Amino acid sequence: MTITEKIMAYNSGRDKVTPGELVWTDVFSVMTMDYLGKETFKMFDSLGRPEVFDKDRVICVSDHLVPPPTPQFATMLNEWREAVKAHDITYFYDLGRQGIAHQIMVEQGHVLPGKISVGTDSHANTYGAVGAMGNAVAVSDAAVAMATGKSWFRVPEQVKFYVTGTWQPWVMAKDLSLHIMGMMRWNGHLIYKTLEFAGPAIDALDMAGRMTLCNMTVDLGAKNGIIAPDQRTIDFLRPVQKGTWDMIASDPDAHYEAIYEIDVTNLGPTVSRPDKLDDVVPVETVVGTKFNKAFVGTCTNGRLEDIAMVAKILEGKQVHRDVNFLLVPASTQIMKDAIKAGYISTLLDAGVAVDTPSCSACAGIHTGVAGDGDVVLSAGNRNMKGRMGSKNAAIYLTSPAVVAASALKGEIVDPRKF
Amino acid sequence: MIIKGKAWTSREYIMSFDMVVQRFWTSPIDKTENAKFIMAGVDAKYDRENAFKDEGYTFIVAAHNFAGGGKSIEHCVTGLMGAGIQTVFADSFARLQFRNAINYGLPFVTAKNVIDMVETGDELEYNLETCELKNLTNGQSMMTAPVAPFVAEVAKAGGLMDFIRQKIKDGTVGELR
Repeated sequence: MTITEKIMAYNSGRDKVTPGELVWTDVFSVMTMDYLGKETFKMFDSLGRPEVFDKDRVICVSDHLVPPPTPQFATMLNEWREAVKAHDITYFYDLGRQGIAHQIMVEQGHVLPGKISVGTDSHANTYGAVGAMGNAVAVSDAAVAMATGKSWFRVPEQVKFYVTGTWQPWVMAKDLSLHIMGMMRWNGHLIYKTLEFAGPAIDALDMAGRMTLCNMTVDLGAKNGIIAPDQRTIDFLRPVQKGTWDMIASDPDAHYEAIYEIDVTNLGPTVSRPDKLDDVVPVETVVGTKFNKAFVGTCTNGRLEDIAMVAKILEGKQVHRDVNFLLVPASTQIMKDAIKAGYISTLLDAGVAVDTPSCSACAGIHTGVAGDGDVVLSAGNRNMKGRMGSKNAAIYLTSPAVVAASALKGEIVDPRKF
Repeated sequence: MIIKGKAWTSREYIMSFDMVVQRFWTSPIDKTENAKFIMAGVDAKYDRENAFKDEGYTFIVAAHNFAGGGKSIEHCVTGLMGAGIQTVFADSFARLQFRNAINYGLPFVTAKNVIDMVETGDELEYNLETCELKNLTNGQSMMTAPVAPFVAEVAKAGGLMDFIRQKIKDGTVGELR
């Protein structure tokens, strides 16, 4: 069996499961956040259960709307806070302790290997980085999971990416995500499937890189991504884990619908061109493209390792005068760590604006949105028209390394030649 | 049960964030309200109150990754239902909206290459029991994938919420597996 089949079987009291089958499984944790949370609790209240299934395992996070940019959002946040309070939720990461929900779920140990978690935001598949099955759901599913500690799932078909070779300097997990996007396109090959990442180049990836890789599986059209736990996972989770867990891995003879091998030795910095995420090219193709906004942050690339990469490139230099560079750490913990490491002062000295943790410009409903005519070089996850604000803005997606190196010149550069 | 009506088709990726545009992501769930600007980002002509609904479609026929792009919002499905859509056929569906559709009892039916036998405006007839889809305009027909028993059960209960309400009332939630 694959790791995914094992997880679904163990958590549904079965010996085995078959792709295509619909099963009810136990849910370890449920995440909801500010802009859908109130609606989730309203749905929960309508089900006829006075209390959530476990107050320690319903996790509430303010991330899309904090600090509130409009009176309307401020009011929504107030209603959300009241709902969280009324349900006596143990873990509430509100303004001051906030972060992007998916970062919080992993960083604070609310998702664990071999367990199933759901969240009311599409990037909940980030949890696969620690060997959890992370599922994005909408508010009714989350409400049902809050009431019952269960959720229904279709057992997905599974595809394995076996990744070998040596990561080259300035090449990041994001480049692999975008490379796979370009390789597979949105043509139905990965839709609704689980992507399992394995191989020596995955073993070599730090947790930040694993989170990036699993995070973007939803943008590939897949159900989720997963990486089996290893020593790195054990070390990462030990100080924060909110529960116990056992090691779990795919059997050597597990069946996959397809296995793709990728050698990262030949992988270079990669860019997705505006409007269609699967319009992916090597950075060389777009070198020289001018842009006026740079953005690093999000649940995809707002981690300490990403900020470290940006700081390393910008240290002692100045962002080009025609570029507005916004950097937003993915959580308060990351902000604290980045300050301690000296990265934030390096960034401020270089002319980067640093904002308090949130989803920020990525969803186009908060700070730093794009206006008409803007060309944005972003380390986020989506670049369809209007994603970051105006429909008349163009978004190039790439790694933090490409964003940082390019920001110095005001046009896209290859960080390897910088 | 047999459903009959007019189809709206597209070979393009129909993305969830175009079906329900950004300014409505935070709206309350309400079929009539969510229907008003459904498909507003798919075609500019639908960015007008009830523009899509007023064209009177019963079916949507699409290609791959219908309602893709990943948005954890249910407005796509409630909006389609409010606009009169009773079945969606496609080569494949994005999972979030596939879930939502099942949870609300709107059949999302997998039908390979269905887009090749239907044009916008064609009259279709779909038999939910036999899974036969007929195009009454051009005389073509095909068999779709069957609907799983669980899906039918939830639809019969009036959607996931009512399904679970009943289980909670009966004290049988623990039996779900």
